[in-house]
Amino acid sequence: MSRHDLLAADAVAPAEAKPAKARRRLRTTWSLRIGVVVLALYIAVALLSLVWTPYDPLTPGVGDGYDAPSWAFLLGTDRLGSDMLSRLMMGARYDLGIALTAVAIASIVGTTLGTIAGYYGGVVDTVALRTVEIFQAFPGLLFAMLVVQAVGAGLVNVILVLSFVGIPDYLRLARAEIHAKKSWQYAEAARMVGNPPWRVAFRHLLPNSVGPVLAFTSINAAFAALITASLGFLGLGLPPNTPEWGNMIARGQDGVMTGQWWVSFFPGLAILGLTGAFYLMGDALADLTDPRRRR
Amino acid sequence: MTPLGRMILRRLLWVFPVAFGVVTLTFFMARVFNGDPTELYAPPEATDALRAQIRARLGLADPLPVQYLHYLADLLRFDLGTSFTTGQSVASDLWDRLPATLELGLVGLTLGITVGIPIGVIAAVYRERWPDFLLRGVTLSGMALPQFWIGLVLIWIFFVSLGWFPGPVGRLPIGVALPPKVTGFLLIDTLIAGKPALWWLALKQLALPAITLGFSSAAPIARVTRAAMVEAMQSDYIRTAVAMGHGNRIVWFRYSLRNALLPVVTLIGGVAGHIFAGAVLLESIFAWPGLGQYALQAIERSDFAALQGFVIYASLLYVLAFLTVDLLYMLIDPRMRTP
Repeated sequence: MSRHDLLAADAVAPAEAKPAKARRRLRTTWSLRIGVVVLALYIAVALLSLVWTPYDPLTPGVGDGYDAPSWAFLLGTDRLGSDMLSRLMMGARYDLGIALTAVAIASIVGTTLGTIAGYYGGVVDTVALRTVEIFQAFPGLLFAMLVVQAVGAGLVNVILVLSFVGIPDYLRLARAEIHAKKSWQYAEAARMVGNPPWRVAFRHLLPNSVGPVLAFTSINAAFAALITASLGFLGLGLPPNTPEWGNMIARGQDGVMTGQWWVSFFPGLAILGLTGAFYLMGDALADLTDPRRRR
Repeated sequence: MTPLGRMILRRLLWVFPVAFGVVTLTFFMARVFNGDPTELYAPPEATDALRAQIRARLGLADPLPVQYLHYLADLLRFDLGTSFTTGQSVASDLWDRLPATLELGLVGLTLGITVGIPIGVIAAVYRERWPDFLLRGVTLSGMALPQFWIGLVLIWIFFVSLGWFPGPVGRLPIGVALPPKVTGFLLIDTLIAGKPALWWLALKQLALPAITLGFSSAAPIARVTRAAMVEAMQSDYIRTAVAMGHGNRIVWFRYSLRNALLPVVTLIGGVAGHIFAGAVLLESIFAWPGLGQYALQAIERSDFAALQGFVIYASLLYVLAFLTVDLLYMLIDPRMRTP
């Protein structure tokens, strides 16, 4: 290759880089759009189920047991003859509600603790990090199972356990961000004009560090939804007739063996849509909030 | 001692505080919340005296701190206690079930790596074109679907509908005797026993759970590989390599992939930790007699010693997985070898 070619390639490179960049931004916004639209759809269904479902989701025997999908029962009925579509719609309330509430609690508590640990450092920091390390050596699902089995079934307990499982990640994220930024000049300046430490940490540093945390909330919501479904599948956590999707998959497990696939199949698709939307949004948010990836 | 040796030693010693913390946590959480499991093991017509006797047999008669000290003292002698349910020592229970989990996990993880990395490379090479979008869709669903659902759907398709694979009844069909135990891995023991027919049966039983595990571990591996490859392929040294006229295959696999491997190895460490710490629900779907099922049963039956034993094993495994990752780093990244 001649020197001339190399120069030419160099001259061409910026022009080629531009459409790639534009395409990348396009993809980011598309995955964000798809994620937001799907999530909005789930919220709409959850709200709709409060006022209307095709049949009563909790009543068995609106059809015969194991009706195949038909015009009367679009997604079929389960073993007890409850309408699958109605149950799926009502289930959105549980799976979506649990995931969103748990993430809200975990992100607020974890970020607060992480900010404190990162800003004050020293013993507080060491104790926080060591504790987190021990909790993270514990398999997440096993921990949730153990606690739910122990403190007993119930919506509130499930939400609390899921938030607890999420806290360590937020703590680490926020702590790393704050720790890295606390000696930057703007933090120094904020201290010099007389702001108290908590104010520097929470009003000046935290808002500048919230990007990675925000991107993680979406991924965390996907985890939370998956663990909720796993607990439901094991029959831990919520009362037996609750139309939580994992619970519904468990109810259809026998049907799968005898050919009534729809009882387990559709709740899985419902989970796929919800967690998939969360993952897509998380990806897009990570791209948008991380300047290195935005490049 | 070399710096490397010291690092390994330090990391191995770190197992002890982690295991101690985890054990303490499990010990008190299980007992404080769950209360007295005597009821589970006493017949309904038992008198109070009998109940007290059972409670003492289970080691639950002493006050909590005393029980805890007893447990720690036993632990120092590598005695994990006795399972309430099986009546055997927890250590031997775990040891009996370990091969089933390891065999499934190793085959599943191997599948996940051999499928996941090439998928990630292909997606990166064709990024923002249709193969990329297709593969990204597949990997997204692999991460977004619960593992137990994937397992159920595979059972529905390949066992119930097509009949290509046997049903979910464990490591061998019902009524077939295990080969004499040498390694505990059925795929090896059957060959040692000289029974290729039995080997084939074991492989067919293993196929569906291993594919499930492979699919759900290939998904995150492919995603991270893709992201790291994209980043590597935009770097200056790759542009130089292309400019110097190296073929695609050398640029992709020798230059880009090797440089993209670090985050992939980290992730595989985490995935391996998850898999070997017992794919609890997967084992329960396929009636796989491994550690995951043991843990599930221990939780359901408040079998304290068994649960604690499993938790120690799992946390040990996490620490070892991440130690292995660090050692692999040194193999891959020459910069880390110089002190």
